[in-house]
Amino acid sequence: MFLKLKFIIVCVVFFITMQMSSQEKFYTSFSIPANLNENANAVIRSKQLNITINAVDDMTVYEKSIITVLNKEGNSSLDAYVHYDNNVKIKTLEVQVFNQLGALIKKIKKNDFIDVSAVDGGTLYSDSRVKYLEYTPISYPYTVEFICEINTKNTAFIESFTPVNDYFLSVENSSYTIIFPSDITVRTKEKNLEGLDLTKEKSQNKIRYTIKNVEAFKPEAYSPAFIDIIPRILVATNNFYYEGVYANVDDWESMGKWFYDNLLVGRSHVSEGTKNNILKLVEGINDPIEKAKIVYKYIQDNTRYISVQVGIGGMQPISASEVDLVKYGDCKGLTNYTKALLEVVGVKSNYTRLYASPNEQISVDKNFVSFGGQTNHVILNIPVENQEDIWLECTSQKLPFGFIGDFTDDRDVLVITPEGGKIQHTKKYATEESSQFINGTYAISNDGLIEAKVTVNSKGIQYDNKYWLETETERDLDTHYKKRWNYVNGVSINTMKINNDKLNNEFVEDIDFLAPNYSKIVGNRMLLTLNALNRNTNIPDRYRDRKLPLKIKRGFKDVDEVEIKLPSDFTIESQPDNVSIENKFGSYKAEIIVKDDSTLLYKREWIINDGEYPKEDYEAYRDFFKEVNKQDNAKIALIKNQQ
Amino acid sequence: MRIAALLLSLCFCISTFAQDFDFGKISKEELEEKFNPLDSSANATYLYKYRKTFFDYQQEYGFRLITEVHERIKIYNQEGFDYATTQVRLGKNGGDKEEFSSLKAYTYNLVDGKIQDDKIGKDGIFESELHKYADQVKFTMPNIKPGCVVEYKYRIKSPFITNVDEFVFQHDIPVKMIEAKFESPEYFNFKLNTKGFLPVSPNVSKENGKITFMNKTRSQNGNYSPIETSYNSSDLDFTKNITSYNLSNIPALKEEPYVNNIDNYRSAIKYELSYTNFPQTPQKYYSTTWEDVVKTIYESSSFGGELNKTGYYEKDIDAILSSVSDPVQRVSLIFDFVKSKVKWNGYYGYYTNDGVRKAYKDQVGNVAEINLMLTSMLRYAGLNAYPVLVSTRQNGVPLFPTREGYNYVVSYVKLPEGVILLDATNKYSAPNTLPFRALNWQGRVIAEHGGSELIDLYPKEISKNSISMMATISENGTLDGSYRGIKYDHDALSYRESYNDTKKEDFLEKLENKYGGMEISDFDIKNDVDISKPIVESYKFLKESQADVIGNKLYFSPLFFLKTSENPFKLEKREFPVDFGYPSSTKYMININLPEGYKVESAPTPVVLALPDNLGSFKYNLLASETKIQLVIDVEINQSIISSIYYDAVKAYFSKLVEKEAEQIVLTKV
Repeated sequence: MFLKLKFIIVCVVFFITMQMSSQEKFYTSFSIPANLNENANAVIRSKQLNITINAVDDMTVYEKSIITVLNKEGNSSLDAYVHYDNNVKIKTLEVQVFNQLGALIKKIKKNDFIDVSAVDGGTLYSDSRVKYLEYTPISYPYTVEFICEINTKNTAFIESFTPVNDYFLSVENSSYTIIFPSDITVRTKEKNLEGLDLTKEKSQNKIRYTIKNVEAFKPEAYSPAFIDIIPRILVATNNFYYEGVYANVDDWESMGKWFYDNLLVGRSHVSEGTKNNILKLVEGINDPIEKAKIVYKYIQDNTRYISVQVGIGGMQPISASEVDLVKYGDCKGLTNYTKALLEVVGVKSNYTRLYASPNEQISVDKNFVSFGGQTNHVILNIPVENQEDIWLECTSQKLPFGFIGDFTDDRDVLVITPEGGKIQHTKKYATEESSQFINGTYAISNDGLIEAKVTVNSKGIQYDNKYWLETETERDLDTHYKKRWNYVNGVSINTMKINNDKLNNEFVEDIDFLAPNYSKIVGNRMLLTLNALNRNTNIPDRYRDRKLPLKIKRGFKDVDEVEIKLPSDFTIESQPDNVSIENKFGSYKAEIIVKDDSTLLYKREWIINDGEYPKEDYEAYRDFFKEVNKQDNAKIALIKNQQ
Repeated sequence: MRIAALLLSLCFCISTFAQDFDFGKISKEELEEKFNPLDSSANATYLYKYRKTFFDYQQEYGFRLITEVHERIKIYNQEGFDYATTQVRLGKNGGDKEEFSSLKAYTYNLVDGKIQDDKIGKDGIFESELHKYADQVKFTMPNIKPGCVVEYKYRIKSPFITNVDEFVFQHDIPVKMIEAKFESPEYFNFKLNTKGFLPVSPNVSKENGKITFMNKTRSQNGNYSPIETSYNSSDLDFTKNITSYNLSNIPALKEEPYVNNIDNYRSAIKYELSYTNFPQTPQKYYSTTWEDVVKTIYESSSFGGELNKTGYYEKDIDAILSSVSDPVQRVSLIFDFVKSKVKWNGYYGYYTNDGVRKAYKDQVGNVAEINLMLTSMLRYAGLNAYPVLVSTRQNGVPLFPTREGYNYVVSYVKLPEGVILLDATNKYSAPNTLPFRALNWQGRVIAEHGGSELIDLYPKEISKNSISMMATISENGTLDGSYRGIKYDHDALSYRESYNDTKKEDFLEKLENKYGGMEISDFDIKNDVDISKPIVESYKFLKESQADVIGNKLYFSPLFFLKTSENPFKLEKREFPVDFGYPSSTKYMININLPEGYKVESAPTPVVLALPDNLGSFKYNLLASETKIQLVIDVEINQSIISSIYYDAVKAYFSKLVEKEAEQIVLTKV
């Protein structure tokens, strides 16, 4: 009898292990499909995101995810944290950790999470806090089950379905469910889902998506923004609640109108003193652009940028009167203040929300309106009749009027007018505009010393890359130029003169430098690399298997004209041929003109245009850079004169 | 004589107060100043910095530390605007917390020749909880414009009386005038430690202090009389020890590359409590000498106590060591066991956090848990093992005896064959190859009874590299060949850290792109896990455009893509030592086959470059035959740290090295 019972127990245990529930199979790392291991540091085995909108001001978000971390780099994909503030209640927060075999090795409860202020270094204050998991892996791979449930009154930001939210992360299963009352309209927009295993269920009160088997993305140079390549489903409701305000919007126009009426209106009062000051400054000027320039200068001279995020302040600017008093604000506050001062002088301008990012132009989706998630910054728009609109970055004390640079250029943005919102495109810096002209001379001595004198003139995005130099200390500037000409050994900079011409958005640098042994003496010959002042040293990375399309985000044009004095004891033995290359990415020309026995003129022009190409073109693009690099290193051979 | 001294001190006072540093007494001159005349590159300057820290006695709390701060800052331009925001960190622990109060803050601007002041508002002050052990107050000033002056004062009350924040005298911007004062009652004996390059000496004096105790007595005379409450007070007189500082025109401290930790050079004074001596209470020692520091640490239950626990591992260690008697082998078995058993959670410290027992069970621990456990196991195995207190590079150099001077602990074994340093927090750290973070001056070995001695943590062993390359250059300048590199010690450690934790394909791709997209095949790594052997990396490569083809000649540098292309030292002059972390050497052996039909027309001559005092050397030797070139280069840096007096020599040495490595070979077509 005794024996029998034992046998039965063993059987039952055995049976249970065999019949692992579908979920348990995710706890062991052995069952990961091979294609999901490729390029992955972590794998989302199974993730459920359930959003329940109980009422327009009551939303519950439940997340349960099981993630296997394959190596040390994968730890950052765990995302086991939750942000909260006064409006967010954390109902459940727990983690279980499993070893490679799927055995439970640790349980972590809500109170064991580390609780810190979510203020980043650039922010003065924010009431946002974060609870995060601190876990030291004992071995890899390991699996974490993370469960988190929160409740919030704000329904303005509904998390989108973003199954892959990081590079080197693959997804085995991920689902997204949103449940909502019948009086709330839920809109969705699907992106980059071609060829993926996606299922969709839609009923009157529920939308559910499930996605399976999404391979990891790997970052590649000159590719589109990550957010523009990953599969994503945007979700928003027409009715929402945000920090005490209710909304009902269904397109950008009505969103803009609501935003204006609820978050902007009545926030543009400034003191009489400031009003009078400003009016005095523009006295006798009628041209609205000239007036705007004066106001912009006033803003730059009198305010500074500070980031403060509290409650509704996450979206609503602090009032102009407040900025007027303390003379600082964040992007919202300073933009609104500039707008208020322009109002004083009778110039109409519009508060504009957008996604700012210096590396890539990320647009607001024209056809999908949502309150949050698509923007992170505010600038000012000034409409000008029969001309391109002017855009003002109000947080910078240094940028010239109307110059926005790579932070906010060339993208769709939401312009908020009293009549409603509209999508507009910001200034694009065309290839021709982003130019650098080098005008220089250099002389080579008989023992190879170079003495160079160069004037560099930069505009457009190339201006943007350099204008900050204006305020560098002499020591740092000296180091900067040594680094710019790092391919010349032993440079010493004699004079540096820089001029930031804000009127013409032009940056002018006058530099004199010298370096011994620049050209190499080999026997009775001297080898001189002609391009001493502007050599391309960048060759884009090579990929054995390029996956992403080629995207050149911004174009540029470099023109160099350099007069070269050859050493008196030498004559030209051989010289490189002139080069002219033209292809779909741009062009390259290098030309040597012999002016007399000891004088050469070196002319070079390199143009890269912005554009998008299929991934197959990447290798050709890379080859172009390699060729430019090679031509920039072309040498002229000089031979010692017979005495 | 006495009168003269008095007069002198009076004069001193007068000259100090000629410029008015009373709160709010801003002068037009201060507002009109366009740049700091002593350092025109300064974006802002402390015009005045005042700090006083003293003890306050309240009957209900006992002693508390009060710190009063008053600062006046000139902001010259927009780059200096950061100084309009101040952060104050307030420690807390359980119910005890530091309190911030009495903030007064103004911005001053010159408007039409008149001084205008703006007071900070409530909305300019932000309090937040950073985490369990710290709150933070930040405040930012209104109406900041280039040229303005900001001024603020505040007070911090602290219950943590044994911990006096460092008095920092040197900042990233210049300081025109500093007044600092520290007062402590005779019951507290503080040790005073100075660091940095500035001559700082305190003025020492004594004053009388008094504490008044209030006593309340309730008494009743007989059962039916009213209760009377009587108060009486008693005074306690004591002496206050005062140290104060008056400094002027302190230059800014500027960052330089290859500096271990710039804070090592920042002028500051640290007060550390040595002992307390209250009436009718025995003296309580904190620390005064290194011996005391060691004693305090050693006697703490989170150190010595943890070191002496053995029960939790005995069975496991017995099993591992059962058949091994060789001491060196025993060390290595235990070291490997700890490294594989317990993973480092990223926390520093020489005190355990959760204790060794829990760390062992959970397989996760801080530095102390891991390395004290290691030391304990080594002792259990009959070896002469000791913990070594270390200050990490990040923590700076422990210049004076303080408990905060150290923040890390490693292990040390004495064997007849020599000594071995061990750190089990990094799985690739080998015996005597500590992780880079721990290579910082000297460590303190703690003996069984708390005695101690210093040992040098900078490695004396040179980390060797050897690189051999066989390559063929073709007529069109394409180079193809094979590469083999062998790395020892620290170079092997850092290689393993970057290689073993990334995917092989990624590593390879990065390697290719490091050399401009060179094509690599047959990539192989040996001993990536076996740390007792050196790393051996080998591959075949193909790279275009490695020679210039001009006319019927080929020109190339025989180091090709391996050459040092840039001098890392760019600053014209340097104040602080150059810190390489560890001595290293690299030997290159390069064999180049020439294309058929070409002969060597000219080739670089052999050369020897040497740094003074045998700090380093570069030997270049080239042999050219009809069809082959053989190049042997030896590069050595023999010291971990090189004083700034050698900076010019180091800079020139690297410049010549770069130049020599770039020298070209000329081949002519026959």
